[in-house]
Amino acid sequence: MKRSALLLVCMLLAGMVQGQSTKIKFEEYDLPNGLHVILHEDKTTPIVAVTVMYHVGSKNEQAGRTGFAHFFEHLLFEGTENVERGKFMGIVKEAGGALNANTNQDRTFYYQILPSNQLELGLYLESERLLHAKIDKQGVETQREVVKEEKRQRIDNVPYMTFQENIFKRAFKDHPYKWTPIGSMEDLNAAQLNEFMAFYKEYYVPNNAVLSIAGDINIAETKELINRYFGEIPKGKTPYRPKVEEPALTVQQKDTIYDNIQLPAVFQAYRMPGQGTPDYYALNMLTTLLSGGPSARMQKQLVEKDQKALQVVAFPYALEDHGLFITLGLVNMGVELSDLENSMNREIERAQQELISEQEFQKVFNQIESQFVTGNARIAGIAESLANYHMYYGDANLINTEIDRYRKVTREDIRRVAQQYLTPTNSVVLYYLPKSQQPANQTSN
Amino acid sequence: MKALKYIALAAGLLCATGVTAQVDRSKLPAPGPAPEIKLGTYETFELKNGLKVIVVRNTKLPQVSYSLLIDRDPIVEGDKAGYVSLAGQLLRSGTSSRTKDQIDEEIDFIGASLSTSSTGVYGSSLSRHKEKLFALMADVVLNPSFPQAEFDRLLKQTKSGMASQKDNPQYIANRVQAKLLYGAEHPYGELNSEATLDNISLQDVQQYYQTYFKPNAAYLAIVGDITKKEAQKLANQYFGKWKKGTVPTHQYASPAPLQQPVIAVVDRPSSVQSIVQITHPIALKPADADVIPARLMNDILGGSDARLFNNLREAKGYTYGAYSSLDSDKLIGKFVAYANVRNAVTDSAVAEFMNELNRIRTEPVPQDELQKAKNFLTGSFARSLESPQTIASFALNTQRYGLDKNYYRDYLKKVAAVTPQDLQRVAQKYVQPDKAYILVVGNADEVAPGLSRFGKVSHFTAEGEPAKELSGDVDAQGVINNYLTAIGGEKKLAAVKDMRIVMKINFNGMEITNVQAKKLPGSYLNETSMNGQTMSKIIVADGKAFMAMGGQRQEVPAQQAAAIKIGAYPFPELMYAKEGITVELKGMEQVEGQEAYKLAIGAADGPKVIEYFAKESGLKLKTEGPTGTVLYKAYEEREGIKFPTKITMVTPQGALEGELTTLELNKGIAESVFN
Repeated sequence: MKRSALLLVCMLLAGMVQGQSTKIKFEEYDLPNGLHVILHEDKTTPIVAVTVMYHVGSKNEQAGRTGFAHFFEHLLFEGTENVERGKFMGIVKEAGGALNANTNQDRTFYYQILPSNQLELGLYLESERLLHAKIDKQGVETQREVVKEEKRQRIDNVPYMTFQENIFKRAFKDHPYKWTPIGSMEDLNAAQLNEFMAFYKEYYVPNNAVLSIAGDINIAETKELINRYFGEIPKGKTPYRPKVEEPALTVQQKDTIYDNIQLPAVFQAYRMPGQGTPDYYALNMLTTLLSGGPSARMQKQLVEKDQKALQVVAFPYALEDHGLFITLGLVNMGVELSDLENSMNREIERAQQELISEQEFQKVFNQIESQFVTGNARIAGIAESLANYHMYYGDANLINTEIDRYRKVTREDIRRVAQQYLTPTNSVVLYYLPKSQQPANQTSN
Repeated sequence: MKALKYIALAAGLLCATGVTAQVDRSKLPAPGPAPEIKLGTYETFELKNGLKVIVVRNTKLPQVSYSLLIDRDPIVEGDKAGYVSLAGQLLRSGTSSRTKDQIDEEIDFIGASLSTSSTGVYGSSLSRHKEKLFALMADVVLNPSFPQAEFDRLLKQTKSGMASQKDNPQYIANRVQAKLLYGAEHPYGELNSEATLDNISLQDVQQYYQTYFKPNAAYLAIVGDITKKEAQKLANQYFGKWKKGTVPTHQYASPAPLQQPVIAVVDRPSSVQSIVQITHPIALKPADADVIPARLMNDILGGSDARLFNNLREAKGYTYGAYSSLDSDKLIGKFVAYANVRNAVTDSAVAEFMNELNRIRTEPVPQDELQKAKNFLTGSFARSLESPQTIASFALNTQRYGLDKNYYRDYLKKVAAVTPQDLQRVAQKYVQPDKAYILVVGNADEVAPGLSRFGKVSHFTAEGEPAKELSGDVDAQGVINNYLTAIGGEKKLAAVKDMRIVMKINFNGMEITNVQAKKLPGSYLNETSMNGQTMSKIIVADGKAFMAMGGQRQEVPAQQAAAIKIGAYPFPELMYAKEGITVELKGMEQVEGQEAYKLAIGAADGPKVIEYFAKESGLKLKTEGPTGTVLYKAYEEREGIKFPTKITMVTPQGALEGELTTLELNKGIAESVFN
């Protein structure tokens, strides 16, 4: 009697815990050609996300040939041996689906979200892309122009968006993180067709990819289809991965950028360890403390109380090998940029000197936990997270457990990482000023 | 022998499997049987005070969201335009028991979000905090304190936001479009401005809240990891005492349709790209049966990978993207076809728009093109169902718009039944290029002549007012001469050899002082300081212009220096001819309630500023330059010459008010000042 009552309590507790955590279940395996497959079944909605993540980003590029990885994201919509040029998007639209792709420093990600009865179409299209994409002169010429338009529209014409390029080239001297995914248009212009073909052959191989599928699928049937479409694709050589040790910065890199902007702004970037390291989690919590909501320290003090800034943001630029801890502030009228910078630094000094209160610590954790849960709201997000966790950490189950890594962070850790990484000598500081303030004897940056 | 036979058979089988395993890549795989698209379920209940509640239970994630909607008729705000939206923002800025800081802290502590608008509140959190969030939301809805300080801060922010948008062509296009389509007296057509914002008081905001935030005018959608029973308990506990009341209703006449196209051009001289919109109101309400065929028709015309896109971008290369939209609305809907195109191809782009708009009206859409659109719409519908909020919005729409109760259940069947004839019928009804505004925001000098092939070009101001036509008897130099006469006459002005002006500027409670010293033949100082500390300094001495900031001194670029040197004269307008400054009359506009001449002024090859001179008094009213806009007010006579004693500087960061405190003429300024 007593024992069964205890059991009942245990079961109730287990049930409650279950209700709060909602574990994502999945299966994973490798095909003989090295393609890693992850499958997550969720039949709530009759749709399926078919995604492929390639472990290639701008850091795999060679100096003088930057922008290749992102260029491929465009090129691989051109067509394949069997898919006519320009038809890729129309085929997916006609099937009732949506598709897109994106590229960063570490990986390139392609996704389609389709009605679940079109799973096979999704597999077919992605396997075509991997097996024999059309890499030819016409496609290269077309996409060169499109990428230039994209750069104009999304970087050059967007206020402050050159910040990535300007920060990374100062924060890194050796590591290929010193250039950004959009790359250099000169490099793309200079590149020859055979170089694009070689890049495709090196990186677009099954042993460099994760096929992650989530949604309304039957696991056994899906495996069978995957075998049919991806099994015949030959394994490639092991692709080049840079192993560059980039020492910490020793002198603050301070500079002024004149841009097409109305409001001056200050950007600070501190070098920090790569994502997934214990200190990364502590630093991530620190950015939430500084700007993670309307009550966050920088927001409250600098925007609302002092009205020195119109906007302040702190965020971790998380990458595989190294990361950057970035803070930025848009100055309010009548305030000197250096004054705003000093005020931002005071908030950082506060985090270095004072241990944060239990209450504030709990708040930051709760905010992060809430984001963690929201990340799994859609199957496309789940498919991407599973692929990310496998590719970066070799553990797709982090989709369920990564939050425990935040739990391990202590208040002392947050103070320590603030002291250890957020030092002036380890930073890049950029003043963004309107072009009208540029002195005559200086040329544009 | 027998064994061999078996081996051969086995080998044959192997081969056979080998063959079937080989996929035929030459054609697209056929889709499987269409999956059943099931709509999630919802439940509803109503409180005694009339609050209607929709509950969508979804336990996939441990999350809840609450969305309160005030369902009221659109409101005409008149000379206080902007107060309704301000009321919505201010709702979250304090309650009778919580300051804004406390609300922010409590929301963040549970990792939640809470935002407010004039027609509702939205909040979400993990389900273990569902009650806490509900209580906070209810406090914000029922007990807002509308603190004056927060009101002042938000008002200022709104003005800053407006100032930073002022030159944004998209912002201009949206405002002019609204005014043209619906007229200034219609809730969708009235525009807010500095002046209307200045008319708003805290009482207006409170009045709005008290009039419209009534439970009987509201819907509450509760979505996520929560049962109906829990929802009932929360709603009763926190909203049960919310008092019902009569909410006013409003009716508005529909704008009269155009009888012929109106080509409306808004001049933005610095534009290298034109914003093109072909637009007209449509009488299409959300419950109309035409909504579904009209959506398919619009997708074929102006969706992704559709006719406008393929023509204007893929075939012609005029633009990065060309689209159309067709919106139904309880009051009045609208159709817009739009793109941003290079100056040189603006008229050609309009011609292609017209071709496509006419083609979808006159030619039946091929069956396969229609099928593609149906498939896409079906797929989009299925994808939208992934979010439980979609089910809540279906329930809400069904009630608000009086849709058939099976409207969404039968939605895909209705999509499937649409024929090419239906499409043509709705195209003729809702796409009417002959009764549309062809609105172009761009460089009028470059694009207007080409547009005249579509009809008479009408010019409009950035506020959507007809730009006045010029009478033939004025020219630009005449306007300048009138101005010089109005402020004192050339003789008196020419006698001024030096001039010192001090202005006091108030910003955020801080006092900024601006001193300008001018001395012939061309020395100049412009110094801005705060609390006795110099913030910036511009100096012209010995023909060179410098800028000093933070102890550093830098020479100003040539083009900018030329402009500064003109400003170094006590009365620059006297020197235009000598300095090679050209003036050009650009039209007439209203400035601060006065009719004014608009002049473009600058060196022939340099950047221009725009200045406005009152038609009646001849006085200068406004300057628009690259760094912002200056308004001149309250002219007073000093030593026989009229000076503005108040100025307003409108910058992207907000408006600054300046007051003249000292004016000295011919007092003999020491050369050392210009160091």
